[in-house]
Amino acid sequence: MSIKSFAAMTVAASLSPAVLADEGDRGRFALGGYGDVKYETTEAADSSAYSARFVPIFLFSLNEKMHVEAETEISINEEGETEVELEYADLHYFLTDTTTITAGKFLIPFGQFGPNIHPSWINRSPWTPGIYGSHGSNQAMEALLPILSDVGVAVQQTLVLGDHQKIFIDLYSTNGPSVEADDHAEEPVEGGHEEEEVGHAELPELAFEATSGDNNKDKAFGGRVAYAMLPGIEIGASYYNASYDDEERLDFNAQGIDINVIGSHYLLRGEYIETETDGFEEEEGETEIHTFKRDGWYLQSTLQTGKIWSSLAGTELVLEYAETNQLAEASRWMVGFNYWLDARSVIKVAYDDTDVEEGEDDQRFAVQLSYGF
Amino acid sequence: MNKLSNRSVMKCARPMIALIALLSVSIVNAEKSTINGAEVFNNNCARCHNARALDEFSLSEWSVIMPHMRERAHLTGKETEAVMDFIRLVKNGDSKADTTQSSLDGQALYQKYSCQGCHSVNGNGGTVGPALDSVIADKGESFFLKKLKDPQFNNPSSPMPRMPLSDDEIKALAEFLSTN
Repeated sequence: MSIKSFAAMTVAASLSPAVLADEGDRGRFALGGYGDVKYETTEAADSSAYSARFVPIFLFSLNEKMHVEAETEISINEEGETEVELEYADLHYFLTDTTTITAGKFLIPFGQFGPNIHPSWINRSPWTPGIYGSHGSNQAMEALLPILSDVGVAVQQTLVLGDHQKIFIDLYSTNGPSVEADDHAEEPVEGGHEEEEVGHAELPELAFEATSGDNNKDKAFGGRVAYAMLPGIEIGASYYNASYDDEERLDFNAQGIDINVIGSHYLLRGEYIETETDGFEEEEGETEIHTFKRDGWYLQSTLQTGKIWSSLAGTELVLEYAETNQLAEASRWMVGFNYWLDARSVIKVAYDDTDVEEGEDDQRFAVQLSYGF
Repeated sequence: MNKLSNRSVMKCARPMIALIALLSVSIVNAEKSTINGAEVFNNNCARCHNARALDEFSLSEWSVIMPHMRERAHLTGKETEAVMDFIRLVKNGDSKADTTQSSLDGQALYQKYSCQGCHSVNGNGGTVGPALDSVIADKGESFFLKKLKDPQFNNPSSPMPRMPLSDDEIKALAEFLSTN
């Protein structure tokens, strides 16, 4: 999407009288979102740079049953060009008190980081957990599931079990991944690649970017079931399956479990993900399907020191560990210090050390100002 | 062979998961008849992020933001309405409030403004804010008065909303907390 088209759309929306019309205390439009400015040094790239993003969220309440929302990420790339990306644009239809149907481009409910924690004013670290990829930044760790949103339909069900207990169920169908344009998955290569199993071909590269098209008729299917004991704990299990090649012979599967513990002065967030990626390989003149398995996890703990000692009001200490196993093995430690200017604005100072089994290690340092609005 | 069986299991799992979801729709929810909006606010906002100050948005903006948060936090429709009622009370006060001396009942004010949604007394209540059992003894009445009139004066990241309370009502609340 060009910046001109985006600007024209924004101006058109702002000129629409319906958008600004209020009826008593019932509104029709609200603007929220977040943004950040980051200074980052990386040893692997031997560089340091400032970067900035602005991520407005447009919310429209059509009526009591229908809600429309869209999030756009506006940023400047390394060449100085302004990039506009549609993170999500969907419609929620509140079918019953506890059932919601969503259609459009929406955040995939896999784990907790993608659907809920990824905004920088919410994430306690200036970086994405390594298993989810870098999302615009650089990182040495090879992601397991570099997907945040996709186009399709979803249904959400909330079961209230008592005063403080709930079960969340999310199911969805989307276009799913496809073969990366320059992928060599169907051309088995011989040794020497860092993402290669001994005696097998190269791990296929998949394109997870959401599109309004698909290279096959198979739709990705997934879901998440979670149990919440409010306000302190949420545990979930997620599943995702899609055929990614033109002939629908090759699958990509992911399973994960996640946990979120909210204490009076600490937070504990973690996820474990397993993936299985099919790929073709030649075996004695015949083409066979081999399944590449990977797994990885991260655990992030936050000690809210400001809640323990009033003289340190607004401060937090963050410690995170992440690792990926089987193909592209790597581990990462991150330590950070956060200072909250108010409930939605934070300055993060962090350092991470990534150890890559077969590849270049990296050490990064970042200072990030992030704000929700 | 192993590959085929894995595919079969995965394809079979899809309708089973969908069936569970459909069945779950028919399960009767054990939701309370009266829902405390402040308690819903306390129990759900901090699952992902700091609770936002209610002063940050207008009432009409909150009415559009809450459906967004309903889907994001898996709130029920009734819970969403209860949070809106709480926001409405905090922003507008109670137009039917009794302004005579008899209205200065600290315990009634504590419950009316759902202080227990975020704070606890005698172990009962929320955890977003600190326990209030010894707040008057530890900090003094003047601190309490200042905190309720300007909730961010000592902690800029505090999500505490400024309640529509008069000085006399704040003193009544302080008396209730000091004698409880």
